[in-house]
Amino acid sequence: MKARDGVRIALRSLTGHRLRSALTIVGIVIGIGTVIIFASFGTSVQTDVVGEFEDTAASEILVVTGDVGLDPNDDSFGPPPEPGNLDSFALPGVTTHDLEQLRDIDGVQSVIPRAELDTATTLEYDGQRQPQTVIATSPSAFTEDNIVSGRSFEQGESGVMVITERAAAAFEGNLSVGETVTIEPGDEPETLEIVGIVTQARGGLNLVGGLNNEAYVPSDPYYQEYGETVRSPSQGVDQAAYRQATLVAEPDQVTDTSSAVETYFEQESDAGQVIEGGVTVQSAAEIVDGIEEVLGDIIRLVSGIGLLALLVGAFGIANIMLVSVTERTKEIGIMKANGARNRAVMGLFLSEAVMLGLAGAMVGIPAGLAVGYGASAYAEVGFTVPYGWILVATLMGIATGVVSGLYPAWRAARVDPIDALRYE
Amino acid sequence: MATSSSDPVVSIDNVRKEYQLGGTVTALDGVDLLFEPGSYTAVMGPSGSGKSTLLNLVGALDTPTSGDVIVAGENVATLSETERAALRGTRIGFIFQTFNLMPRLTAVENVALPLMFAEWTRSRRRERAESLLTDVGLGNRFDHLPKELSGGQRQRVAIARALSSDPELILADEPTGNVDTETGTEIMSLLRDANDRGNAVLLVTHERRIAEHADRIVNVRDGVVEGIEQVEHTTPAETEVGAVGTGAGQGATEERR
Repeated sequence: MKARDGVRIALRSLTGHRLRSALTIVGIVIGIGTVIIFASFGTSVQTDVVGEFEDTAASEILVVTGDVGLDPNDDSFGPPPEPGNLDSFALPGVTTHDLEQLRDIDGVQSVIPRAELDTATTLEYDGQRQPQTVIATSPSAFTEDNIVSGRSFEQGESGVMVITERAAAAFEGNLSVGETVTIEPGDEPETLEIVGIVTQARGGLNLVGGLNNEAYVPSDPYYQEYGETVRSPSQGVDQAAYRQATLVAEPDQVTDTSSAVETYFEQESDAGQVIEGGVTVQSAAEIVDGIEEVLGDIIRLVSGIGLLALLVGAFGIANIMLVSVTERTKEIGIMKANGARNRAVMGLFLSEAVMLGLAGAMVGIPAGLAVGYGASAYAEVGFTVPYGWILVATLMGIATGVVSGLYPAWRAARVDPIDALRYE
Repeated sequence: MATSSSDPVVSIDNVRKEYQLGGTVTALDGVDLLFEPGSYTAVMGPSGSGKSTLLNLVGALDTPTSGDVIVAGENVATLSETERAALRGTRIGFIFQTFNLMPRLTAVENVALPLMFAEWTRSRRRERAESLLTDVGLGNRFDHLPKELSGGQRQRVAIARALSSDPELILADEPTGNVDTETGTEIMSLLRDANDRGNAVLLVTHERRIAEHADRIVNVRDGVVEGIEQVEHTTPAETEVGAVGTGAGQGATEERR
């Protein structure tokens, strides 16, 4: 029998029992629908998160002292540094000299050091005192997009502070540009003028938004004066030393720049000599890859739940196909008397099962996409059609049909024509 | 067609058939029979006589316990299941008491069923089926489902199906058992037409009246052949019956040859 004839005859049997066929595929629809819902929603979130991060940080290269396991080639973000490594993870080592050298590397647009002033843990405004992390950084941390009001500070400017909207909002009253606050980085309180209010600053590890509850001062003079220092091996003097810095690279040279920076730290930097574990250089693109991979794993895991429903559906198909074989025993006998080979009979029943599975996919995929679209709209992320998953779901529908139809079809093929013709 | 060959279309040589049903039941006990091409034989016997077993063996639905069943030159016992299916589909036509049409297929599709398994193209199948249905007087019922047809019409569809691959041998198992007498007469005349065109017919029945339509009657009882008698067709009724539907039938016969 030709395949086309087989498909037509099988289709005739299925449409002859519309309600039964429809009920049989419900399990498959639910299974495949679930897979597509999770896949489409997950993929949408993934695309959205990664896209947002890439927009702002694609050209950033992060430099962190120690060996921080941010390598995307690891399974994930990797385990936290082991106790023995904590020393090198936390130690300041990137000296002022290093920052100057980095600035001269081809492809580096700007260097943003970043360090907390450990000594300044509170901010006082108008008699209110709030705990507040004060971060020493450079003006390049503030892009025009991020400045809500006022201006950035200058490097070397004293008595100025930039604060995030969120930190400003912690105080009652109107902490705005021009107001003064007091911090106590050393023994004496210092009064600073708020010169700018920003949404966020570059150079943090705030990958997906972060809390942005921060206040910023220029690293020169504040970190120079109050920050941690190490003796620079190349200069022979004590210098301010950072744990972390972010380099903004020319957008089209991120990879080259990143490897040049890596070479610098391996060969001549102060940090490379001071810190035992060296320095981790990681471009944002690599971090994005890591995030993408983790989200992909999560999508795969959750979509796997849909497979359970699919399994239930497979039993449904197998059950109804077995009933069908019994019901149509006589038809099998008629076909065999008229020259149907066992293979043809098997093919007929198998096609029916496959068509049921495929029909489940045809209904489940659009249904899943619709729900996934709704969920994405509700979560306010852009909808991404998971084409790969649609292909996977279609194949799963077919495979379910094959697996659940095999045994019933085998039973049908083995029906004895004499008994079948006598069957009423 | 087999008429050109002098070899018998079916040769049954010392055939035994036993079933294991709690004990050994002997359905056929050393049967020898020859069916010549174009012959018309009725096998008669009461139920349990072994005539159905004989039909199953000749129809390549079953294999003998011992002895040889040779159908259209093929020894049924030595064929694989697939080869037997092909033999049934292309060299043998079946007509059953209960019609045995596929319920969800139209008249044309039912007639074309053996041709579908023999992988004819769809258009050739339809052409052939329509011509055969016209021959049996169902030219206006091509796309009807079996449930939309009367018993007599269903049996005519079944006859057209049995003829569709122009087999050497047509097996008819109580073909008039489920239709009224008048329709039975029509059915028997269609079988006679088929036989006149050269298809050997093997008719299984328990009714003498029906068996007498054949040229030869084989009486079977308790698994052995009791006797073989030749039938003289001289009655006026037979002549009259033979004339029914011959016009269209003969025309189609000429085309096919």
